[in-house]
Amino acid sequence: MTKDRDNKPFMTSRRGLLLGAGAAGSALAAGITASQAASSHGEQVTDAPVSDKMLEQQPFHGQYQSGIVTPRPAAGMVASFRVLASKPEEVERLFRSLTERIAFLMKGGTPPALDDKLPPADSGILGPVVLPDNLTITVSLGASFFEQREWLSPHKPARLSRMKAFKNDALDQSLCHGDLSLQISSNTPDTNIHALRDILKNLPDLMVLRWKQEGSVPVLPRSPDGTHQSARNFLGFRDGSANPDAGDAGLMQRIVWVQDGGDEPAWARNGSYQAVRIIRNFVERWDRTPLGEQERIIGRLKPSGAPFGGRTETEVPDYAKDPDGTVTPLDAHIRLANDRSKAADAHLILRRPFNYSNGVSKSGQLEQGLLFICYQADLEKGFIAVQNKLNGEPLEEYIKPIGGGFFFTLPGVTGADDFLGRPLLEAAGHTPTNTKS
Amino acid sequence: MKFRAYLAASIVAIIAAAAPRTANAEVSPLDLVGPIAEYKIFIGENLEKLVSETKAFTDAVKAGDLEKAKKLYAPTRMNYEIVEPVAELFSDLDGSIDSRADDHEQKEKDPGFTGFHRLEYGLFSQNSTEGLAEFADKLQADVVELHKRITDLTFPPEKVFGGAAALMEEVAATKISGEEDRYSHTDLWDFKANFDGSRKIFELARPLIEKSDGAFVTKVAGNFDTVDKTLSKYKTAEGYELYDKLTDDDRSVLAAAVNTLAEDLSTLRGKLGLN
Repeated sequence: MTKDRDNKPFMTSRRGLLLGAGAAGSALAAGITASQAASSHGEQVTDAPVSDKMLEQQPFHGQYQSGIVTPRPAAGMVASFRVLASKPEEVERLFRSLTERIAFLMKGGTPPALDDKLPPADSGILGPVVLPDNLTITVSLGASFFEQREWLSPHKPARLSRMKAFKNDALDQSLCHGDLSLQISSNTPDTNIHALRDILKNLPDLMVLRWKQEGSVPVLPRSPDGTHQSARNFLGFRDGSANPDAGDAGLMQRIVWVQDGGDEPAWARNGSYQAVRIIRNFVERWDRTPLGEQERIIGRLKPSGAPFGGRTETEVPDYAKDPDGTVTPLDAHIRLANDRSKAADAHLILRRPFNYSNGVSKSGQLEQGLLFICYQADLEKGFIAVQNKLNGEPLEEYIKPIGGGFFFTLPGVTGADDFLGRPLLEAAGHTPTNTKS
Repeated sequence: MKFRAYLAASIVAIIAAAAPRTANAEVSPLDLVGPIAEYKIFIGENLEKLVSETKAFTDAVKAGDLEKAKKLYAPTRMNYEIVEPVAELFSDLDGSIDSRADDHEQKEKDPGFTGFHRLEYGLFSQNSTEGLAEFADKLQADVVELHKRITDLTFPPEKVFGGAAALMEEVAATKISGEEDRYSHTDLWDFKANFDGSRKIFELARPLIEKSDGAFVTKVAGNFDTVDKTLSKYKTAEGYELYDKLTDDDRSVLAAAVNTLAEDLSTLRGKLGLN
């Protein structure tokens, strides 16, 4: 595949975004609804919906991979692969090919035009020019990736393990684990699908798709005072109110990024542990549960997301004043997950979930739930410890984890000469030789 | 020889009519005449085998010889799977010879469900030859008709060379999962026939592109070798192990090889200057 380095880089979109937001804001203020605006411009029913966010772009190069502390866009996907590359040269080709494709897709550009007697280089679903649309693709490796390659097994991150079933899990093996995961997120599902198809087309001999789950996040109108609210999950509750501040670099170093000085291999520095869980929600039953009970199970007020006795979702509940659970039940979801004690600080995780909706079960119920994704510097103290605290919670009656896996997110690609997984290959004694991607 | 010359002439006519934009093509339409004639002979031989072996298979079904019929099912089918790119040009026959229960509204109970898989269902799932005689007769009549139609057919070049990829698409979409021979689990026999059918087409094209596109030829041949090596692990005295024996590892190796062959062979037509 020829590169498109000469292509003009897209403007980062802040200005365009702000202009767009301003226009939308004034339209709202003037009381013009979108549908009225649409009909007045003579649009046709099959016109493409318009977005002013197509040029939004996230950096591919950096100390860390994008898609972790990056604000979560509206559409996400996790795809899990079986990796065929086995020898060091093959694994290098895998990493270099992924690097090349992801760098192109995140930046956007024009795919090469081929002879029309050949299949086109690009699926074309985004049109002849691929726009970045805020795309991030985050690459992580499962325990099996290391264990099945003798030359890599001594270099497995210290806490990377194959996900074991927790007490409430009913894991479908065809939705679990994998040698490599891609977390793909962007403003629109089509951009994610385009990226996945591009990677499948370009790396068919190196990896085979095992499972994927797509998800979305409900969008909200921009608030007039510029404040942010956590998005809601398919239980109708705000999810992420207690997430640590992803904009606080020091905090992220402690909670999310693997640092020097511990027992992790040196190559893993600036990587992170990714826990993925496909958690089915029994939404019909949930919708038939009294509001008060829903709130007691979660531990928050449903409309505002505030803790009991509070007014905003950002308020921190004071459990010390409520040792018997008269305000917030002791087994409420948010209280079990994080009891706000000093000790709980060691178990903080950065959540980045999406809601999913797949179809209808054999019983005629909606197959919906949460594509839970979280990142942490220590998988055991992070997700595994938190989930163990949640085991037996009343919410279990309404949820059933059915898939997912644990992965290690590779450190970032620092520049044009670098590629994904290079520190790992070098640690394993492989000197990258192939300079052509 | 006379037949060949006639065939060659008609193919040239077809190619000229299709008028591909061959300004930059390194392969001239005339170069394709020989390989296509050879492919037609290859298909003819396999069709003759299909007719005679289907006769033996359907005779066993009608004679109520369950064991013999079961034994002949997989090897007989291979003759169909190997000619599939051409056989599929006749969708009515392809439907009655090779459709699966999924293709019919009432699945196995559907009166339109006939052919190999209907017999497979009776023999392996019902474990009986009862009520199969009419399906046996129909299958035999269909393969005879197929042979007749293909003998009279002028092979469209883009279908011939596109067939290499089409066979891989078949495997990639439904066979890698073991859905094809779900009652007998003899899918690996089908794999083998599909790969052999695809490789034959590739080998016919090979001399035309070997010089101009050596890397492509080496890569495709390498992936066919990977498939052969992987499948040979499952070889038995009679044919192949049942699909259930295929390990996850080998299934992944085959899936990656099939996907890669499908990607690469999808460019074969274009490389030969065909639209």
